[in-house]
Amino acid sequence: MENNYHVCTGCALLCDDIEVGSEKNKINKVFTACRIGMAHMKEGKGEAIFRVDNKSVDEATAINEAVTILRNAKKPLIFGLGASTSETQKIAIKLAKKINATLDDNSSFCLGGVVETLIKNEMKTCTLDDVRNKADVIIYWGTDPSDSHPRLLSKYSYFPRGKEKQRGWEEERTAIAVDVRKSHTAKISGNYFFQIPPKGDEEFIDAVIAGLSGKLPKTSYNYPPKKLLELANILKGAKFGVIFVGCGLIYSLESLESLSRLMKVLNEKANIHLMAMVGNYNSMGFNENLFAETGYLNSVKFENGIVKHGPEYSIVESLKAKTVDAALIVDSDPFSILPRSIVKNLQEIPVVSIDPYETLTSRHSKVYINTAISGVEAGGTATRMDRVKVSFEPVIEANRPSDEAILKKIMEAL
Amino acid sequence: MDFGSFLTSPEIKVKIITCRDIFQEKAMIENHFGEDYINHSAVIKLDPADLKQLNVKKGDTVIVKNSFGRIVVKAEESGYETPHRGIAFMPKSPWPNMLVSDETGGMGVPRFKDISANVTSAKGEKITEMESLF
Repeated sequence: MENNYHVCTGCALLCDDIEVGSEKNKINKVFTACRIGMAHMKEGKGEAIFRVDNKSVDEATAINEAVTILRNAKKPLIFGLGASTSETQKIAIKLAKKINATLDDNSSFCLGGVVETLIKNEMKTCTLDDVRNKADVIIYWGTDPSDSHPRLLSKYSYFPRGKEKQRGWEEERTAIAVDVRKSHTAKISGNYFFQIPPKGDEEFIDAVIAGLSGKLPKTSYNYPPKKLLELANILKGAKFGVIFVGCGLIYSLESLESLSRLMKVLNEKANIHLMAMVGNYNSMGFNENLFAETGYLNSVKFENGIVKHGPEYSIVESLKAKTVDAALIVDSDPFSILPRSIVKNLQEIPVVSIDPYETLTSRHSKVYINTAISGVEAGGTATRMDRVKVSFEPVIEANRPSDEAILKKIMEAL
Repeated sequence: MDFGSFLTSPEIKVKIITCRDIFQEKAMIENHFGEDYINHSAVIKLDPADLKQLNVKKGDTVIVKNSFGRIVVKAEESGYETPHRGIAFMPKSPWPNMLVSDETGGMGVPRFKDISANVTSAKGEKITEMESLF
């Protein structure tokens, strides 16, 4: 019997080996997926909901109201799209151009800086399949994939038997965690868990570089030099190493200069790659699509054919400075993920929320359009965290429109 | 030891680091407003010695506040072997986001993992409801 595998859009790993069982157009069994994926795949059950001012309306009324808001806005913001298909993202980019909008996604306050170095080929990277087949040294730095990308260790980076790593984690792979706390991933790394103090990453990088260069590694927090030298020696011997970089590392650094320096020194002595632990399933796709269109990954403002870019066009700075007067939020929940001190300004402007889930944002929106979950109720394409393109078909029939269909209608009406 | 610890209701200063939690994430997917999500989100994980100093037991509620906001959340022991007094952990959610500064240096990146706040016993006060956050 031929297996019918599906893609899980629960995170940026886009696992493509998911089997499901369904009854009456509802997924009731999910195999192979992680805890997050299991919940995600089973969520495809929603009926269409359209609301204006928290009152139920029909689709046309909701779209008309959304169009009116965007038409009346002088400085609209479009935000989100990390959990949207590439097809939806491309429409949103066109829409942003058409209405002279500010356009941004989560990457502006997460891992956008690192992703930019990867898209611009400024740091050495590889695919997750390369990691599975070849990696002997795997570093999780400021990230806890056991909680955020649960199958990263089992499907790709540590536990599997790769083509060139048939002896697996027991003999041929070394997992290393650098973190401020003993996360679930750090526990798996055993003796190779390097616990550092908050904001201690920059010094730790310098100390590792010193160790790699044959100098005595020192830190102001007296990290044992012997352990640092041990780490430097493991890295030096890596035939195919990979550093998975999370927000824990990036938020701790003043800039990416030290990380670039570390990668340079490491690659003079070994073969080390870097990968960003982007969260949303198609955050990488959004960055690639916007980069292809504008040369920038995020934080852009379209102005009569000109593209402006800079942190002032990020969602955080736009809301803080109140430089936007309406917002279209697609597949994202800024009311939950941003500081209240900043996102409270969203309450002062009309918000249109397009999202499969009822969220704090949908509840605070003037217009709410409940859409199909891409990957479960709608198909499309996305870019995995390692920049591999993945296509998926809907698993069940949708009772609600896709975000792509809704954006198209808004676009046409404008 | 700071002055706060001698008060009738001792108060301690902490740096809060937000982090991911797979159980919370699953609960959020199932229902953003569900009890399970709230129980996994409105939580602060402290060093056992800090809990003792606060005179609260694990599971009790505590007030966590700074100039940006005030929340009541459940206190738990972090379970980490290495002592981390003065450092607390919270799953990323609207609750810690109540306390995150708007100061970004103009770079668009809030300090989600570097939140300064004071913690004190909530003396039985209930967890801050999600609806009251905004």
